[in-house]
Amino acid sequence: MPPTTFMPTTVEELRDAVAGSATSHPRLLVTAAGTAATTGGRPDPADAIVDTSALSGVLNWTPADMTVSVRAGTPLADVQAELGEHGQHVAFDAARVRRGATVGGLLASGDGGPLRQLYGTLRDLVIGVTVVLGDGTVAKAGGHVIKNVAGYDLAKLFHGSLGTLGVVAEVVLRLHPLPRTTATVALPADAAAAARLGVELIASGTEPAALEWTSGTGLLVRIEGTPDGVHERVDAVLATNTGALVLAGADEEAAWTAVAAVADPHSEGATVLRAGTLPSDGPGFLAALGAAADAAGVTLTSGSSVGVGVHTVALAGGHHEPVLAAAHAAAGSSVSVLRSDGLAPDTPLWGPPPPAVALMRAVKARFDPADRFGAGRLSSWLAPLHEGVPA
Amino acid sequence: MEHSALRAEFVAAIGADAVLDDPVSLRSYECDGLTGFRVVPEFVLLPTDTAQVAAAVAICARHTVPFVARGAGTCLSGGSLPVAEGVVISLQKLRSVLEIDVENRRAVVQPGVTNLDVSKAVAEYGLYFAPDPSSQQVCTIGGNVAENSGGAHCLKYGFTVHHIHEVQVVLPDGAVTTLGAPSPHQPGYDLLGAFVGSEGTLGIVTRITVKLLATPTAVRTLVADFPSVEQAGDTVTGMIASGIVPAAVEMMDALALEAVEASVQAGYSLDTAAALLVELDGPPAEVATQFAEIEQLCKDNGTTKLVIAPTPEARAAMWKGRKAAFAAVGRISPNYFVQDGVVPRTRLAEALVRISEMADEAGLRVANVFHAGDGNLHPLVLYSEQAGEHDRAEHLSTAIAELCVDLGGSLSGEHGIGTDKACSMPRQYSDVDLATMTLLRKAFDPDEICNPGKLLPTPRLCGDRPGPHRAHPLEAAGIIERI
Ligand SMILES: Cc1cc2nc3c(=O)[nH]c(=O)nc-3n(C[C@H](O)[C@H](O)[C@H](O)COP(=O)(O)OP(=O)(O)OC[C@H]3O[C@@H](n4cnc5c(N)ncnc54)[C@H](O)[C@@H]3O)c2cc1C
Repeated sequence: MPPTTFMPTTVEELRDAVAGSATSHPRLLVTAAGTAATTGGRPDPADAIVDTSALSGVLNWTPADMTVSVRAGTPLADVQAELGEHGQHVAFDAARVRRGATVGGLLASGDGGPLRQLYGTLRDLVIGVTVVLGDGTVAKAGGHVIKNVAGYDLAKLFHGSLGTLGVVAEVVLRLHPLPRTTATVALPADAAAAARLGVELIASGTEPAALEWTSGTGLLVRIEGTPDGVHERVDAVLATNTGALVLAGADEEAAWTAVAAVADPHSEGATVLRAGTLPSDGPGFLAALGAAADAAGVTLTSGSSVGVGVHTVALAGGHHEPVLAAAHAAAGSSVSVLRSDGLAPDTPLWGPPPPAVALMRAVKARFDPADRFGAGRLSSWLAPLHEGVPA
Repeated sequence: MEHSALRAEFVAAIGADAVLDDPVSLRSYECDGLTGFRVVPEFVLLPTDTAQVAAAVAICARHTVPFVARGAGTCLSGGSLPVAEGVVISLQKLRSVLEIDVENRRAVVQPGVTNLDVSKAVAEYGLYFAPDPSSQQVCTIGGNVAENSGGAHCLKYGFTVHHIHEVQVVLPDGAVTTLGAPSPHQPGYDLLGAFVGSEGTLGIVTRITVKLLATPTAVRTLVADFPSVEQAGDTVTGMIASGIVPAAVEMMDALALEAVEASVQAGYSLDTAAALLVELDGPPAEVATQFAEIEQLCKDNGTTKLVIAPTPEARAAMWKGRKAAFAAVGRISPNYFVQDGVVPRTRLAEALVRISEMADEAGLRVANVFHAGDGNLHPLVLYSEQAGEHDRAEHLSTAIAELCVDLGGSLSGEHGIGTDKACSMPRQYSDVDLATMTLLRKAFDPDEICNPGKLLPTPRLCGDRPGPHRAHPLEAAGIIERI
């Protein structure tokens, strides 16, 4: 029998669905566009699905305040299209956005894209949140102003929560002006050279908006700003490297599409890992994975935000488990599995827990004492919770 | 627990020199920057490293003794106000820069290092720490983390939370852990993000990995006078509309300018209704283009005088005036309260009109210095204790903070809720919101011994039905005193 699905269209409907199902459907799995359905641990079977994709729409947008509030199930791409009409955007470009990822899903999955170099991730852009907890509590934190230190920042707590604390119902985001001009310079580089170039470019005051490397594209430097300002910096980047090339039009678009394809491959059978390291440890990390992959007959496709040390690696062919083990050995709790198609079903997907795992469990126990949400997504880190919820 | 027994435990853990309990020493810790509230603690502890902090906290936990972490004590909301019969744990002896990683643009520092000393330590590498509260010469990084401090440049660069990679924390049970990760990819709940800005209520930070930025290649600064606050405000609106994100946009009204000039002679005009201080930084061509646009916007909006800083020294002088504004108010008024409310930028003009009406009604003067780019007001309510204006001024000050909430904003943009505004929190958040925030506090600190009575309203502080304008019950009970 297929599980029940709730499809609320408002926060009130969401609250009623959650509160009303406490005994009939205790275990809930929160979904939205499904673009990160495979991120993190494998979900345990649930009694009902809370599908937030109908909980959508922009609620409030005053362009001159540069903030927007949206229902969590709104695809970010739709929000961006609307904001673009006034020359604004959410400075966030995770590859999944192209596949219809929703604002709430992007927050809960802690995703990011090339713009993380200059703007960070959604945790850096979210200024308010409304959440629904397992007992039907509807709570908000933050608000509609960019600068606000009143109360605890629960929006950040839900960043990366993978549907294990409650349902993100509404989100308020800080906006940025769309750049007047952008340009992309491609520099031929392997991973080590790209990391080095990244350090130099940042130190020289180039202020790149993105610094993305893949083996196919080399290092892509995206520069944003006023036309003359961009021109000045593009020249400075070109001067550092004889092989540097300004990409325009279709070439530029193709290069960034290639970056997105590496960051968000959705071909069947692939295993995809995301990991964070110190920027300078990136090349060593990729080399360690490369060695493990060679030994296991696996072909890797890798991409890195070299300025901040975030890497995405897709595995094809051979045995994937040893490569995941190598990633866990090198980057510990900073590794997440975005797709596990190529891994044996009993492979532990999370590595060693972060040092603060006890706090994570305490937070889970307080926010979701009945353990209704997202079972499995953060196992084994949260696993001991099943043995007894601390009082 | 008996004083002498507790004392013996602290002495055994961190040494006799590090345990203060003589009345004179204790007195110097009785308040923070919100000097109206004073509580003498039972002990002040001066640990020298993480292990000692952990040992001290473990003793407090074992005996359920409340403790309050303390950096430089510059908090403006009573966040570092001691707790009666509690312990102050000062981080002043943890003041080393432990590591500078130029390649990865980060530094590992102890919590007692001052904000400015971080930037000084890394300046030779062309790096700096972006958050720049006006108190940066004395306030500590630990305090900045606790308060999620901002500064004049946070419009472009964000707040402390955007500039921290990792923190080592002594939790309220004495356990030591680490929050955050070396990169922005940190799976699981963003506990670091939730911790920053928690006002010392979730644990004590003992080591911080700060993010450093490359010093901008070009910086340009101007001060423009305007015949009205509205015209200055329209200029800011124009900047935002044309997609410019200045590093800083500060506004001062006539009364604030008068105070600053009386104090530091920064060269501001005394015959103008408002002045804007605007700074752009970044790549040279970028800055040049946008600076010209801003000059034009100032002219289009009727600026009466526009001064561009010709040298770094002149820029420093312009900033010295702005950063000295709070203290400078002391020149024109014997006493003052400073507020920190935020309004959506589009409601700034409305807020200022209301504030001036409310001031008139109260028969008091309010000087305005604020971060115009993000709607963070700093109304300075001027009054005289001697003339018996205290209560009226406090009323007005609270009413202004609550006005900001009513206009869709927030009680505080950077100074924190602390003791000062805890009882106003129900204006901004529902009981359910506050109860949900309490879940986070309890997850970290189930016994509520870590800086209790701050940030969240409690019946003890605010009465059963928390609300504004109440005499502080601790004051009525003689536990805290006000000067
Ligand atoms: C003249 C003046 C100007 C100011 N300007 C600004 C400004 O522009 N922007 C701004 O944001 N603020 C400003 N402030 C406020 C204040 O300086 C900041 O809040 C600062 O971050 C406090 O640092 P501190 O070291 O003095 O902290 P303290 O006052 O000692 O403590 C502040 C809070 O942090 C907690 N705390 C301290 N150290 C730790 C630690 N290691 N671990 C955990 N918790 C800790 C305390 O318990 C307390 O709750 C100003 C203050 C003054 C007096």
